[in-house]
Amino acid sequence: MNNKRKILLIEDEYFISELYHRALTRAGYEIKMISDGNEALKEALTNQYDIILLDLMIPNLNGSDILNILRDKSKIQDLKARIIVTTNLEQRPEIKKQIEDKADAYLIKAELTPGELVAFLENIK
Amino acid sequence: MDQLKYLKVKIREYIWLLVIAEDLLFLTLILTLSFTTHFHLIDKALIAFGAVLIFNLIFIIPLSNIITEPIEALWLAILHISPSSIENIKAPDLSKLHIGKELVTNLVGQVYQLNNIGRAERKNEISTYQTMGRDFLAKSLPLPIIILDNLENISYANNATLKYLNKSEDDLIGKNVYAVLDMSFPTEDTFDTWLKNAKQTTAISSNVWERVKLNVDEQHPTLYFDLAAYYNLENKDNNNTIIVLFDHTKLYSQDDQAISFIALAVHELRTPLTLLRGYIEAFSQELSGKLNPELQSFLDKMKAASDQLTSFTNNILNVARVDNDQMELNLGSEEWSTILTEAVQAIRIRAQVRGIEIKLNIAPNLPKVGVDRLSIQEVIYNLIDNAIKYSANSKQILINSMLNNEGLVETTVQDFGRGVPESIIANLFTKFYRDHHNRSQVGGTGLGLYLSKAIIDAHDGNIWVHSKEGEGSTFGFTVLPVDRLSEEKRLSSNDAIVHNAHGWIKNHSYYRR
Repeated sequence: MNNKRKILLIEDEYFISELYHRALTRAGYEIKMISDGNEALKEALTNQYDIILLDLMIPNLNGSDILNILRDKSKIQDLKARIIVTTNLEQRPEIKKQIEDKADAYLIKAELTPGELVAFLENIK
Repeated sequence: MDQLKYLKVKIREYIWLLVIAEDLLFLTLILTLSFTTHFHLIDKALIAFGAVLIFNLIFIIPLSNIITEPIEALWLAILHISPSSIENIKAPDLSKLHIGKELVTNLVGQVYQLNNIGRAERKNEISTYQTMGRDFLAKSLPLPIIILDNLENISYANNATLKYLNKSEDDLIGKNVYAVLDMSFPTEDTFDTWLKNAKQTTAISSNVWERVKLNVDEQHPTLYFDLAAYYNLENKDNNNTIIVLFDHTKLYSQDDQAISFIALAVHELRTPLTLLRGYIEAFSQELSGKLNPELQSFLDKMKAASDQLTSFTNNILNVARVDNDQMELNLGSEEWSTILTEAVQAIRIRAQVRGIEIKLNIAPNLPKVGVDRLSIQEVIYNLIDNAIKYSANSKQILINSMLNNEGLVETTVQDFGRGVPESIIANLFTKFYRDHHNRSQVGGTGLGLYLSKAIIDAHDGNIWVHSKEGEGSTFGFTVLPVDRLSEEKRLSSNDAIVHNAHGWIKNHSYYRR
């Protein structure tokens, strides 16, 4: 089907990528996986995704920088993707607040299994 | 007195000598006269001599008494005021003096005056001694001591207090004790409830609290101490409460440091654990229905074990958050039956692998509740997990949820296992507390109930336990319907005791954070 939702999965942990990829594909999403920060930003700016799963700890350009650029109106108008930040780190409150303000959702990877992630995304339309 | 008698005797002796000498002289005179001219007068002269002799003899005793009167009076006066005199001596009656009345009155007056000066000085000495004792004991004793007046303002704080709290006298004296000491107690037996009760019901009361926590200021590390307090209604100047602090900061903060360290270590477990759960999930999805019963049960057990480990890591991390005041609750309007069913569903497999059946009974038409979904599910997990651990050979756990008489949503988790001895029920919700008998047979960190209480308290709910040894336990808790929640939050700003996510009971509403 053509209206498969497209997900950009920005994640550099191999096992997590593998698990998320499998679970999301199974659930009927179309997945593009990228583990490098610069490449991920370039891909996100093509604005062809419905959901961006953004890990904060990735090489070259980190997740919060990518988030800031994607939310910068001078860099991109009308980003259609929902941005969901994923991390295993506990953030300091002020940083967490910044992220929560800009992202559409904030997930701690350790609190969700891939199956639960799928269920979560089903509720974000 | 003997000396006085001796003096009188001596005086009498001298008078005797004087009289004898005088009489001898008189006799000599008579005899001399008799040998010369008027010898015929000798008879009369002898008679006169005899009369003088008798007169002398009669008056010697009163005379000696009169002469010693002034000195006796002085002597009595001194004995009268002497602290070392044993006999009960009265002040001398100066009006009866025959000679030297003025002189003696004057002298005795001076003796009394000197004595009064001496007495005042002695008194002065004693009070200096007392002040010194008080200063030395209270002021310099290396133990913080604070005295409160009956308005609970600080009227005295010794040097150790100033040093311990890092405050000056001006910061403390005259200030309300709760404004200065931001104390948190591990149970609801707090200083202010005790004092309030003591003032209403008794004249004298004392109490001791362990593990009291004190937040001094941002720069100062948290202090921990045992607290002793003494109240006496009749103490002088209304200074009727004394409190003493026994510092145990080093000892008591070790537990917290241990938790911080464990939290750090546990954090590292999360990623691999998440992966394991992810792969187990993948196995379940791919293989469900295709495995033989034994392999299926193995897969279930793997899932149960990894879920249990996840609960454990979550508990540790949450306790660290509670202790560091970092637990955040997002109270939202939620459907209680959904939350409860989900949580029970998630933990059911853990019960199943032990052959335990969970029966869930939720009353229909419960109002929407105001809860933080993730935290409240941790509470449910912890209570069910406990029920599983302590079920022993019983194979059933009952979970009931309904609207109680107070209009709160009440949920109970009942097991039929070993139960909790009555003696330890009071400590059950304390950090690290576990029944020693069960320690060897049942795993766990002793954090689950502590954490559950902290979370329920933060929801303004109640948590409790009813238990009978050998028959099982029922743990229950309440959460508030969402429309009651806002009402409750409004009211609680005037509450004396404030429950927050901190897991400690704040001493006074004044300090709500």
